[in-house]
Amino acid sequence: MFEKLKDPGEKTLAFLLLAPAFILLALIVVYPIGKLIWNSFFDLRLSGEAAKFVGFENYALALQDPDFWNATKNTLLITVITVPGALVVGLGLAMLANLPFRRRWPVRLALLLPWALPLAFVGLIFAWFFHTEFGVVNDVLRRLFGLEPTMWLLSPKLAFTAICLAIIWKTSSFMALILLAGLQMIPKSQYEAAEVDGASKWQQFWQITIPMLMPSIIVALIFRTITALQTFDIPVTMTHGGPGNSTQTLAMLIHATTIDYLDVGYGSTLAVLMFLISLVVTGFYLKRIGGNA
Amino acid sequence: MQRRTLFAAAAATLMLIAATGASAQTKLRVFAGGSGQRPDLMRKLFDQYQAKNPGVTVEMETGGATSELQRQYLSTVLNAKDPAIDVYMIDIVNPAQYYGAGWLEPLDAYLGNAATALKPYLPVYASANVVQGKLAAMPAFADAMFMYYRKDLLEKYKLAEPKTWDELTAAAKKIQAGEGNANLQGLSIQGAPIEGAVCTFLLPYWSQGKEFNDASGKLTLDKPAAAKGLQTWLDMVDAGVIKKNVAEVKTPDTVNEFKAGQVVFAVNWGFAWDRFQQDKDSKIQGKVGVMPLPAMAGGKSATCVGGWQWAVSAFSKSKAESAKLVKFLASPEAGKFLAVEGSLLPTVAATYADADVVKAVPWFKDAGTVVVAGRSRPMSRDYGQVSDAIRTTTSAVLARTKKPEEGVGEIESRLRRVMR
Repeated sequence: MFEKLKDPGEKTLAFLLLAPAFILLALIVVYPIGKLIWNSFFDLRLSGEAAKFVGFENYALALQDPDFWNATKNTLLITVITVPGALVVGLGLAMLANLPFRRRWPVRLALLLPWALPLAFVGLIFAWFFHTEFGVVNDVLRRLFGLEPTMWLLSPKLAFTAICLAIIWKTSSFMALILLAGLQMIPKSQYEAAEVDGASKWQQFWQITIPMLMPSIIVALIFRTITALQTFDIPVTMTHGGPGNSTQTLAMLIHATTIDYLDVGYGSTLAVLMFLISLVVTGFYLKRIGGNA
Repeated sequence: MQRRTLFAAAAATLMLIAATGASAQTKLRVFAGGSGQRPDLMRKLFDQYQAKNPGVTVEMETGGATSELQRQYLSTVLNAKDPAIDVYMIDIVNPAQYYGAGWLEPLDAYLGNAATALKPYLPVYASANVVQGKLAAMPAFADAMFMYYRKDLLEKYKLAEPKTWDELTAAAKKIQAGEGNANLQGLSIQGAPIEGAVCTFLLPYWSQGKEFNDASGKLTLDKPAAAKGLQTWLDMVDAGVIKKNVAEVKTPDTVNEFKAGQVVFAVNWGFAWDRFQQDKDSKIQGKVGVMPLPAMAGGKSATCVGGWQWAVSAFSKSKAESAKLVKFLASPEAGKFLAVEGSLLPTVAATYADADVVKAVPWFKDAGTVVVAGRSRPMSRDYGQVSDAIRTTTSAVLARTKKPEEGVGEIESRLRRVMR
């Protein structure tokens, strides 16, 4: 056997070289996902008796659970609002940063800063911004328009809006970074040629910038959508899902079910469902836009 | 010559290493809660223990500003069966949950059976630490919700301590009108979705003579009474006694605002007394009174009992040594030290009457009766879920996103499955 190892064929060698990576991946990716799916078929509560196999009962329960649908709705809504929101703001920022400033580093730094801040940190900062008594938002509204303080984070709609604003602020800098890289790859000569042909700035934007930028936009959108579906830190720190559970996302519901309620079986079921939702959305992207790119 | 010195140095080092190894140091790692649990004083207790037991080193770990955050942290560690923590501190509502999950080592084998080991302690702590007849944990220190008030303001307007929430509303309105200060709050309670909001829900409910659960842990929610209790708070918001954004108020907010002289009456835990009287930035030192909580009209005062317990991890590698440490930490002497140094409420009845304690914290003489009359929140191995249902809904009702009746209906439907 060892004789063979001394002079392995090309196939064996390839297999041997790949094995460590494969084993590592199996250990840290395949096993946990498999275990998660396995757990989702059990009534497994750490606070209670031994695990009991229940088949698809957890799934049936989830599909009738108003909390699950509420969290799914919130997650999808956050995705639908903040992904395009961050794209628009990010594109604006990228074009601004692409202007020929004499000193570039302060602009780049300002662009990087929100991206470098930890998510939980952003959530806490925005929670203070929107605080009824001490928040800067209410203070500005009072000084400018003499408005009575608004209880931002205590009304379901306003709290949702505030969270979306925080997410857009935080994530548009990542968008801007990717788009800025894309912008710098567009050759100047194209704009010069358009100028000669008498195209307006607006026409240049739609006819040159956007098409040339499309690959970057798609990459940014896919990344952003996947993270938007996993939204957790900002709503947790801003509202903790409140008032009631009107701003609870799927990731938050899974966290509460497994960590706070210790209901690992049901929590796994919810996680599998969230995985399926992500899969559907990503598949949709790859099919619709991936083909063109 | 030089070589010889080197040899000698090496030999000395080796001997030193051998000596340290030979003394067989036991290292115990203790999770001692967050700042509310006074890790500074706990460290001193550990030092006392180390001095008496030279073979033991106690390492302290702290973290988690609130009970929920500490529970989340410990869940993660214990879920992974991590032996790194030997002893940990848990909230009074948690022994049943930790026992159910198999995370704590029952102490019967080390400290004797539950009845004997817990005999010196107040009844509510003696019962909270027994799960299915086993000694699950030992009491660290007690706590309860008290009504703090501004003695100077009540005297100025010649008002007696209110006995009902209606009397309190009237008194607060009189003082607010008389002081003419728009920022002066009549009453501060906790309405944010934190553990304290569970008590905010239970206080007016209990004081109508109602029970949340029976002895076996089954839910016995009287929905009209619960809705009436929540409505009491909303009426006080409408009367301008409680501030409008009460659903944002957390325990430290009440403490800080009362300390700044912006509140007439404040519901808070016993630990706050020390903050009001000792903190350098407190504007109300010497002006604070404390009394049992008011009741609903025709009802009886009821308070929420809190407090912390020491438990030994089921995954600890030195359980016997850990149990010995817990025995010391729960002893009457340790309780007295915490009372005198940090005005933390004792769990042993006799300590309330101890001469040194009464001298250091005179109000403990009356506090004892409040703690004894206090009631504990529902004991359930699914307490995480129970607490979440109550506090989230209470906060939503106080934010006026739900009517009290709707909120109470929601609590019932969520808890019927776990509390049966």
